[in-house]
Amino acid sequence: MSVLKGQELRIIGFLCNWCSYGGADTAGIGRFVQPTDLRVVRVPCSGRINPLFIMKALLYGADGVLVSGCHPRDCHYAEGNFYARRRLEVIKALLPALGIDPRRFEYTWVSASEGRRWQHVVESFTMQIHDLGPARRLPDAPELDVLKMVAAE
Amino acid sequence: MSIQEELQAVIKEALPDVSCVIGWREGPEPLRAAPLFVRTPADADAFRSGYFAVNNPAVFLPEYKGGKVGVVVKGCDARSVGQLLAEGLIRREEVKVIGFPCNGVIDVDKVAVALAGACDPGEIQAAREEGDELVLTTPSGEIRLRKTAVTADKCGRCLFPNALDADVFVGDTLEPAVSADDYADVAAFEALSLEKRMDFWEQEMSRCVRCYACRNACPMCVCREHCVALSRDPRWLTQSDGVRDKMFFQIIHASHLAGRCTGCGECQRACPARIPVLLLKRALSRRVEDLFAYRAGVDVAGPPPLLSFALEEPKIKERDW
Amino acid sequence: MRIGVFICHCGSNIAGTVDCASVAEQAAAFPDVVFSTDTLYACSEPGQDAIIEAIKEHRLTGVVVASCTPRMHEPTFRRAVERAGLNRYLFEMANIREHVSWIGKDMQANTNKSAELVRMAVAKLRLNTELKPKFFPVTKRVLVIGGGVAGIQAALDAADAGLEVVMVEREPSIGGKMAKLDKTFPTVDCSSCILGPRMVDVAQHPNITLHAASEVEAVSGYVGNFEVTIRKKSTCVDWSKCTGCGLCTEKCPAKKSYDRFNEGMGHTSAIVIPFPQAIPKKAGIEKEHCRLFRTGKCGVCAKICPTGAVDYAMRDQIVSVKVGGIVAATGYDLMDWTVYEEYGGGRYPDVITSLQYERLLSASGPTGGHVKRPSDGREPQSVVFIQCVGSRDCSVDRPYCSGFCCMYTAKQAILTKDHLPDSQSYVFYMDIRSPGKGYDEFTRRVQEEYRARYIRGRVSLVYPKGDKLMVRGADTLMGTQVEVEADLVVLAVGGEAARGAPHLAEKLRISYDAYGFFMEGHPKLKPVETNTAGVFLAGSCQGLKDIPSSVAQGSAAAAKVIGLLSRDMLESDPQIAQVNAGRCIGCGKCISVCPFKAIQETEARGLPKVEVIETVCQGCGVCNATCPQGAIQLSHFTDNQILAEVEALCRF
Repeated sequence: MSVLKGQELRIIGFLCNWCSYGGADTAGIGRFVQPTDLRVVRVPCSGRINPLFIMKALLYGADGVLVSGCHPRDCHYAEGNFYARRRLEVIKALLPALGIDPRRFEYTWVSASEGRRWQHVVESFTMQIHDLGPARRLPDAPELDVLKMVAAE
Repeated sequence: MSIQEELQAVIKEALPDVSCVIGWREGPEPLRAAPLFVRTPADADAFRSGYFAVNNPAVFLPEYKGGKVGVVVKGCDARSVGQLLAEGLIRREEVKVIGFPCNGVIDVDKVAVALAGACDPGEIQAAREEGDELVLTTPSGEIRLRKTAVTADKCGRCLFPNALDADVFVGDTLEPAVSADDYADVAAFEALSLEKRMDFWEQEMSRCVRCYACRNACPMCVCREHCVALSRDPRWLTQSDGVRDKMFFQIIHASHLAGRCTGCGECQRACPARIPVLLLKRALSRRVEDLFAYRAGVDVAGPPPLLSFALEEPKIKERDW
Repeated sequence: MRIGVFICHCGSNIAGTVDCASVAEQAAAFPDVVFSTDTLYACSEPGQDAIIEAIKEHRLTGVVVASCTPRMHEPTFRRAVERAGLNRYLFEMANIREHVSWIGKDMQANTNKSAELVRMAVAKLRLNTELKPKFFPVTKRVLVIGGGVAGIQAALDAADAGLEVVMVEREPSIGGKMAKLDKTFPTVDCSSCILGPRMVDVAQHPNITLHAASEVEAVSGYVGNFEVTIRKKSTCVDWSKCTGCGLCTEKCPAKKSYDRFNEGMGHTSAIVIPFPQAIPKKAGIEKEHCRLFRTGKCGVCAKICPTGAVDYAMRDQIVSVKVGGIVAATGYDLMDWTVYEEYGGGRYPDVITSLQYERLLSASGPTGGHVKRPSDGREPQSVVFIQCVGSRDCSVDRPYCSGFCCMYTAKQAILTKDHLPDSQSYVFYMDIRSPGKGYDEFTRRVQEEYRARYIRGRVSLVYPKGDKLMVRGADTLMGTQVEVEADLVVLAVGGEAARGAPHLAEKLRISYDAYGFFMEGHPKLKPVETNTAGVFLAGSCQGLKDIPSSVAQGSAAAAKVIGLLSRDMLESDPQIAQVNAGRCIGCGKCISVCPFKAIQETEARGLPKVEVIETVCQGCGVCNATCPQGAIQLSHFTDNQILAEVEALCRF
């Protein structure tokens, strides 16, 4: 099981439960057809999203990361998305310094009623990632082959 | 009286009020000063300031929270003190800040380069400043190096040679050599292709041994033994020896310093593998300065930018889908 | 952990584009999964029973259901696993309907995506822990925002059930839009005769405290214990002294002031009691019209007032009140129809809104119920009604149907004939929308009995000709252009969200749609709830609706509040932040960012630490994302749980 070869790329979305997850549901209820690449991680609030989740995903195998929360001033928790906005904006600056295309990460605001907008966001972001193609991955340590090591002893 | 002698006098004077004064002494190697903790007036005689006083004594301050401590600081060190104060990690009334004008400090790595094989840096027996020159005593005689060739990069872009917010300032204030930090180093790196940038890190980080000297030298890394790098709950990092986990630690470090890094460069200086890890932090500092007109350790009147927000963010242009 | 996975077909909703059996088969190989199956309807009784059976039979310690959105059935399945003896938080959902089967048609891609979502859910579930709610006391008082018919109904029902009610109304009197209506459809009974007594009930009910001419300034707290700040706006009249005698309004020299209650159809004084049946019946000064405030010279009302109630220096007053629940019933306003240049853009005095026409029809209105043209006071003979002004019109960004205009237009046509038997009414309409008891019969009566001429088509132009107005439009049934000579044109102006509704939504932390209408918890199953616990909706603030529906929603919202506050203690959601004191260094960054002030300093063995006030924490997790060493973790959404989901995806 993997991303469908030649068809999908690995795109991870972090969505706040109250607005954007609901917006994605609204898009589903409206049968607004979208590309299938995106996998959604539900979090209570965009303020819950540690920017390091995004970096972790991008460094460990995601081709794109999308964050969506409530529109500013509409946060279910009053202020969470205000903090998120600053943190997400700042962390974006780390991508070019690492050699990662900054277009691989976007954040936006989608309310629970904006099914159409959600469809548009998913379409646009998926297209953007497909234009960029698969991301380069930094190598992990080679797997230790314990049996071979024992044999060599 | 030289600035060093004046500082020694000031330290002695401060002692009755504080449990100790943190500064520098001669180190085991001639080019490297070591931290000094002055507890008695006699200790103060070992105090050294000047070109070799490289390390940032602010790193020790949070441990003294609750007591009263003195610290001798260069301009860059003073910014760290300022940021620690802004975040409430130390209290103003518990710190006596002694400042002096700094002309720049040595970058030992550059000495090796400047020597260009004329002598093994390990053979240097003594070193002293003479005007614009660094004079090294070696078995094969004296070698003179231009200071401009061996001074730390950060000193070339230093905006605050005089410690800000010092209780006592010794000496005459200096004019900074530049009027703004243009982040030319970040810009130059980002002028490379994305591919080359990642190649660079892949190569550089392959030398990392995850010793965390970068973190231990950082005055803003106050978590110490509670650092997430050492924890599996939360499990941000594994024991994996791959470049990926090593790189990710640097990303964690940089992200935790976003809007807090004062640019003292101790992380990079402490790195035994000479990995230029300051670059990542400077990329974030540039962004924070652009977005919020905030320079850590300088613009400390309000709360740090990532611990606060504005209803309208005039500089943030959100993605318009 | 021993995990069971259930892949729901949802009939053909999921199974139509997802190979559910294949997903179940793949899931069987995921770590810790010991049982995996697909099921026709997981949420049905047999579906839930099968889950319970499997938990017992396979000694499951965790359950994943892949079905619809967790916003729909997470509570259902949590209760089901609880019935089988599992803690309800040892359960995860994978949303393979709204996020998969309904948005993609490619069976292979959907099946693969579903399996991955299940893999994520399993990865997270393996790190889930048992969580138990805490209990906290509730304040048995409810705030009703808005004193229209919906708010009145909610307030009276809640008060009758024994709850204390605090009602806040922005206008100086309650009654809302209904108080302005002459008669109501389809019974054509007098609006103020049915509403008036209910308004009096509000004033006299021992459990209701009314703050008129007041607005909600701020709301803090959470379900069961909200803290509400109310701004009582200065009316320059001390209402504790005012008897409502009206002497001031008679003597006030500023007689040409704009009459808000009468929608500008008449004039009134600057110190005014909005209408005879006003509740509270108290005078207030409209500063923009008052001579004293405009010129500094007058003071007649203060001199004449027998109780000395007039106080020009009066200031706004702030009161705070604790409530356990909130009903928002802020109603609607008419859209600004003057954007329609083709109808004169407001330049022709004899083109008026339907609400203005109500005031002309009303016996308590400025003309005493005599229908007169605003321009010259003549009785109109030919009256043209134009429907869908600001409804179902994308060109003015009002694509929705306002719902009540077809019916009130029919009512107004009937009333026109009653008032002016020789008159002729014309109604330009798009469609006649009259679902409702007795509604369609009513729209037939107006055509067949009252001989109103209904013309199906839109009006393209209204222009003056002499002292008349020419109305040009299409008759799409005849396929011709028509032009009607009118003495009076009445625009059935559509409604929009009440002025300032989004602002109130922000204070209440509830969602609103693109037009400012508040979002209900679920379009079908939670019509009066919001996604913010303890905040309910009634009436047109949720979406335009007529009086019977508004009243029904008022009662429904009251029932919800009564249910909520019938308990002495409420369960707190255990998905809150928790501090690992061993890792906390007491830096206090979490304290500074917490939106709810739910974290406080403490000490452990002489070291500074923080602790979470469990009943105050709302579980947003901002602190979690702030803590550099991860010492404060949001239960059920910990770093490790989210990282496990990310890693479940990134590994493949």
